[in-house]
Amino acid sequence: MANHERNIWEKIADQLRSKSLWMLHYCTGCGAIELPPSMTSRFDMERFGMGPMATPRQADILFITGYLSAKTLRRVIYTYEQMPEPKYVIGFGSCTLNGGIYYDSYATINRLDYYIPVDLYIAGCMPRPEALLEAFNELMKMIRKGEANGWKQYKENYDWYKNNQIRSLGEVLVHDEFHE
Amino acid sequence: MMTIIRVAAVLLTGFFVGLTLEGVSRKIIARIQRRYGPPWYQNFIDVFKALSKNGITHGWIFDFGILMALGGVIATLAFVPLGDLVAFPGLDNLFIIVYLFAVGALGMAMGMVGSGNPNSSIGVARALTQMLGYEIPYMISVSAVMYYYKTASVSELMLSQQDSWTLLKMPLGGIVAFISLLGMLGKKPFDTPIAPAEIASGPMVELSAKYMGLLMLMHTFSIFVEIGLFVDIFLGISNYWTFLIKFTVIWILATLISSVLPRFRIEQVVKFYWKVPLGLAFLQALFVLLGWVF
Amino acid sequence: MMSSMSEIVKNLKTLVKKLEIVEIDEREVKIEIPCEKTLNVLSFLKGNGYSHLSILTAVDWIEENKFEIVYVLFSWENGGKFVVSTKIDRKKAKFVSVMHLWPIARFYERELHEFFGIQFEGNDDMRPLFLENWDSLPPLRKDFDPLEYSKEKFPDREYIKDVIYEAKVIRGDLNG
Repeated sequence: MANHERNIWEKIADQLRSKSLWMLHYCTGCGAIELPPSMTSRFDMERFGMGPMATPRQADILFITGYLSAKTLRRVIYTYEQMPEPKYVIGFGSCTLNGGIYYDSYATINRLDYYIPVDLYIAGCMPRPEALLEAFNELMKMIRKGEANGWKQYKENYDWYKNNQIRSLGEVLVHDEFHE
Repeated sequence: MMTIIRVAAVLLTGFFVGLTLEGVSRKIIARIQRRYGPPWYQNFIDVFKALSKNGITHGWIFDFGILMALGGVIATLAFVPLGDLVAFPGLDNLFIIVYLFAVGALGMAMGMVGSGNPNSSIGVARALTQMLGYEIPYMISVSAVMYYYKTASVSELMLSQQDSWTLLKMPLGGIVAFISLLGMLGKKPFDTPIAPAEIASGPMVELSAKYMGLLMLMHTFSIFVEIGLFVDIFLGISNYWTFLIKFTVIWILATLISSVLPRFRIEQVVKFYWKVPLGLAFLQALFVLLGWVF
Repeated sequence: MMSSMSEIVKNLKTLVKKLEIVEIDEREVKIEIPCEKTLNVLSFLKGNGYSHLSILTAVDWIEENKFEIVYVLFSWENGGKFVVSTKIDRKKAKFVSVMHLWPIARFYERELHEFFGIQFEGNDDMRPLFLENWDSLPPLRKDFDPLEYSKEKFPDREYIKDVIYEAKVIRGDLNG
């Protein structure tokens, strides 16, 4: 992807964005258990200006903790597309990376960046909170340098991502018997 | 010309002091929870970052509602005397302020319901119900003060406290007003409308990026209006600087109280307000009518 | 406590002739019955206090060509458990519904239909419950190959070098 030069306003905006990251955690995987220690007094994520947000509309980071089943992937794609730009995705744990211990499961996906662009992966099963904070620092550096461009890639290669989603899911639209 | 400068001074004070104090309160909460906490300027970064992103609109009612909320609160703030800094001398009537303040709340309710998300409708319904809860005891206790000093102008009310503070003359009324203030600020026992884990931050659920930034500003300004009124009416004569000191003390006190309390359900909020503070407010009004004022 | 359970077992023996009883535990008894007597046994147990259907599930015995259907009944009075199991033919996977005894069985039966392909007569609600857009064999049957399905449906990451091989060399499983 051609990296276009950022003008001065975009550089300032990137500085601000890197210091105030609001997270939406998608906590269906087991990685969610690493979040409470990183938020509370031991590691204290808030000192970097990061905090949890309740809705995708206000979030900057989509944080995928662990395995995603085909069913939840639909909801994650919905959530990702609802987030305002610029938005970043962090894949947490081996399951998002290559399937992890669910590599042969009929219901879980094997690599997340095939469906939505992932800016940063944290390898491990489980990664510890130190790894988590290291990853957030790395993401902040990437944002400051203007390298976290997953959301632009998603716009540019939208057809590729959509084809992949449809290949694995059949249909991205959510049909829910309890709400129809 | 002087009026414009004074209005600008009031709004800039609201912006800088308000956002700084919000950051300070985050720091205080962090320290109570034995964390390091964000820097004091974190809320400035948050607001400007939110304004730098591209939001998603939900139709013109949504856009208009946000602007009405922010505009209404800014207009209200311009009428509130900050100590001896009065933007419109002679016009700072309490009724004008209370009336204008409703514009902001209604604008917010309209815009948020206009987003069409059920969570925001629930949040707005809760916010208006909670308003019903705290407005009645607050207005009764403030009416008692107005009856006692025979004026409704906020700066007159402030200047009438020559001998001692209203808070000391009418302690019951002061306590009632402070409890109502916690509800107005949406601080912890009364943060039912924005319960993040329950209804996904309630009214704000569909607000993205720039809209969120505008709403954060509106929240800052409305904090300034609410605490400013309390300081003016109850905490004696103050000039601009002592006003800010008293403001900070009240804000930190509210933060301390809120950081150690859990959340009420909405019907508990209304029941609470209509039992204890309403009873105390009536008692205070009775004392004022009987002339039993310290 | 135990006496009432053994009494029930004694009564069951008069009700059903071909009955195999495995005592798993002091409070847990497994009874294996022929499939045509299932409804009688279940309603008898329900009438004797074992009124809670903890779970209704199935096991695929592919060598015997059978599905084993398992009902776990629990008593709130003495904490005892009856595991009622019956085997049906795998080719004609069809059984009777117990929805008239336990309405909640609707969802268990939907699940079994989804994951094993077992039909339940008397339960007309056989929509998929958990999986969305499923397009292959029912996934918990033993003749379904999850690895193959996963490879076909969810592409793997392609590594430049074979890290698993290298890890084995490092660990000493293989001699590099």
